[in-house]
Amino acid sequence: MLVTLDPRDERPLYVQIVDQVRRALLDGTLRAEDPLPSVRELAGQLVVNPRTVSQAYRELEGEGVIYVRRGQGTFVAPTIHPDRRERRALVRGVAERAVVEARRNGLGVDELVPMIWEVAAEGEGSPSTSAIAPGEEEGVA
Amino acid sequence: MTAPAFRTAERRARPARPPVPRLRAVLMEQIRAAGLALRGTALIVAALVALVTLVAGLQSLSMGVVRNFYEWPTLLPGLMGVLLPVAMWARDERSGQGYLWTLPVDRRQHAFTKVFAGWVWLMAGIALFALWRPVLTLASGGSVLPPETLHVLASQVALAGPLDQTTLRTVPWAPGPLIWFVPFTAATASYLLGSALVLGSRRPLRWVIGTVLAYAILSVASDAAGAQLRVGWVADAPGGLLHLLVESRYGLDALLTARTGTLSTTMTLTTGERAMVWRAVPDLADWRIATVLWTGVGLLALWAAASRHREQRRA
Amino acid sequence: MIYTDPRIGDYAVATHGLSKRYGRESALHEVDLRVPEGAVYVLVGVNGAGKSTLFKVLMNLERPDAGTAEVFGLDTGRDGPGVRAQVGYVPERQDAPYRSMTCARLLQHAAAFYPEWDHAYADHLTRALGVRPQARIGGLSKGQTRRLQLVLALAYRPPLLLLDEPTDGLDPVVRRRALTLLAEHLADAPTTVVISTHHIDELESLADHVGVLRDGHLVAQMAREELQRTVRSYQLEVPDGWEAPRELQATGLRRSSAGRDVRCTVVGDEREVTRRLADAGARVRQVSKLALEDAALAFLPEDPS
Repeated sequence: MLVTLDPRDERPLYVQIVDQVRRALLDGTLRAEDPLPSVRELAGQLVVNPRTVSQAYRELEGEGVIYVRRGQGTFVAPTIHPDRRERRALVRGVAERAVVEARRNGLGVDELVPMIWEVAAEGEGSPSTSAIAPGEEEGVA
Repeated sequence: MTAPAFRTAERRARPARPPVPRLRAVLMEQIRAAGLALRGTALIVAALVALVTLVAGLQSLSMGVVRNFYEWPTLLPGLMGVLLPVAMWARDERSGQGYLWTLPVDRRQHAFTKVFAGWVWLMAGIALFALWRPVLTLASGGSVLPPETLHVLASQVALAGPLDQTTLRTVPWAPGPLIWFVPFTAATASYLLGSALVLGSRRPLRWVIGTVLAYAILSVASDAAGAQLRVGWVADAPGGLLHLLVESRYGLDALLTARTGTLSTTMTLTTGERAMVWRAVPDLADWRIATVLWTGVGLLALWAAASRHREQRRA
Repeated sequence: MIYTDPRIGDYAVATHGLSKRYGRESALHEVDLRVPEGAVYVLVGVNGAGKSTLFKVLMNLERPDAGTAEVFGLDTGRDGPGVRAQVGYVPERQDAPYRSMTCARLLQHAAAFYPEWDHAYADHLTRALGVRPQARIGGLSKGQTRRLQLVLALAYRPPLLLLDEPTDGLDPVVRRRALTLLAEHLADAPTTVVISTHHIDELESLADHVGVLRDGHLVAQMAREELQRTVRSYQLEVPDGWEAPRELQATGLRRSSAGRDVRCTVVGDEREVTRRLADAGARVRQVSKLALEDAALAFLPEDPS
């Protein structure tokens, strides 16, 4: 699993890590019982404060997304159903950011929502803007 | 991915006492480190010693120069003692910023520890020196053990021109076994003084040159003043001070050479041969007192110098 | 001090009114440093701002003219050895002692002074940083000396690390490796780090506290999240000839060629600042988060250019 952090992103770093784990679960990069890098490993790879990684892992563990196997490390939970809950959490995150951004620019939600549909319709067909629906394969556009 | 080979420390409670190293461990390590640091110096000294041995050997072989026991206490141990601190202390250590001072040891104590470490190697070097001299003497055919016979001036005669044999009387001299210790004590006292100078001032060379210059200026000034004022002692004051420090009964020469240096000179006799002539017979009691005196001064000076580096709260 | 982060809890490092003068220059002026335990505290400031002096006072290499400093509750002037036994220090200068020793021998020397020295970990750090054990110290380059100093500071896992420009003199590859090792080091045991650097961007994700020194004054000291919350970049639409109100102390002001679009950095609560800017006649188009470096630099005076 590859994690990249964006310091300019409004989200705190640990939230970015959590979101990327969720995304990996959604698109199948991470599956049930897959091992995750240890706090030490991930902190070293990202050159990030280990507390940040710990915080991310704690949140994921609290939601039952991952669990710790004594002496063996951290793994994805076996009973994970990425579809509904993870998807919902991700979507919620995007929606929250969009609303905050809109408000900040003095825009109303009633302007925002139709525009989202419009932009989505324009962007259809290019790989970077199309979401991966569950069950679909990611193909070459 | 395999776990790292070293242990990753578990969360530990902060210790009640910080993990400060023990004095013994610090001392042993400083002695080892001093030994390593002085390797270069030791090589240079060894080279010089080899050179001197060669020259002395050639002199003995070709010119039949015989060395005797009383030539032993020379200025060399004193010189070695005074110069060793220069080799031991790096500039950033002297300025109080070096790595030495970042270590978890009380600073003043650490200064003393390092001085002691150097002293250990100094004594080793002097011991070698104390072995080398008799070897040279024996090789040149001289006598190694006292008693010696000295040619002493019968009365205070001006030491100018060739001397008449009759002005001399031969005196047996048996200084006692303590004379073997002179190089060790001489080196120790001068090492203490040298260490105090190196540790105590930021620019020790400046002090040395300054002292020499000050003395020269003082001599000239007092000469002129004395001539003007027609008062003899003013002109003689700087010279008198120097005499007091070096040649007097408990002066530096007593410390360094048990006064064999200043009490003797090589003179030409009327018979044509050259001989060692003595103004008086050196008394080891002078050396004992001088040693105590100068070692005490050295220790005090070192204490003051080390205190410059002590742990303190305020600038 | 404009902003403080008055956290309750243990401070690994706390200074009280610390002042230090060199001649007439004031290197530190009544500095009240507060480094919480376990924090990664980045000290920011231009050259000569007093960062190195602060480190030296904590190590009792320099004595303050006024004020006190404590490390884990121990006074740095009175309990020097106790403090230094718990600190790993990488100094600003880059010369190691004992020029005739090999790197391995110097590590052995250091190990004698720190009972908690971990030889296996020291070996790991030596290999990871590319320190050549048999190289003579006198022949090391600045970068190699720096790497050796890093091993010297980390090998006994001290609870506090004082790193004065630790990546200075290192090429980018080694810099990255050093920071990776630092991140892993932090994961191994609870460690507090105070680090001064010119490459603030490298510590973007590692730091969680920031302190800004300006001419010896600690002008800002806070958790990193708070810094990025209170220092933001404002994109404004302004009338011709508009100037930012002085009391806002806007920095990094950039104007478009038409003069109607302005970008500036302002320190303060976002809503308050937006209101003040609106009152001053500007329309706030966008507010964005700044990278750690840019946020910290907002407290430093701008170039006269």
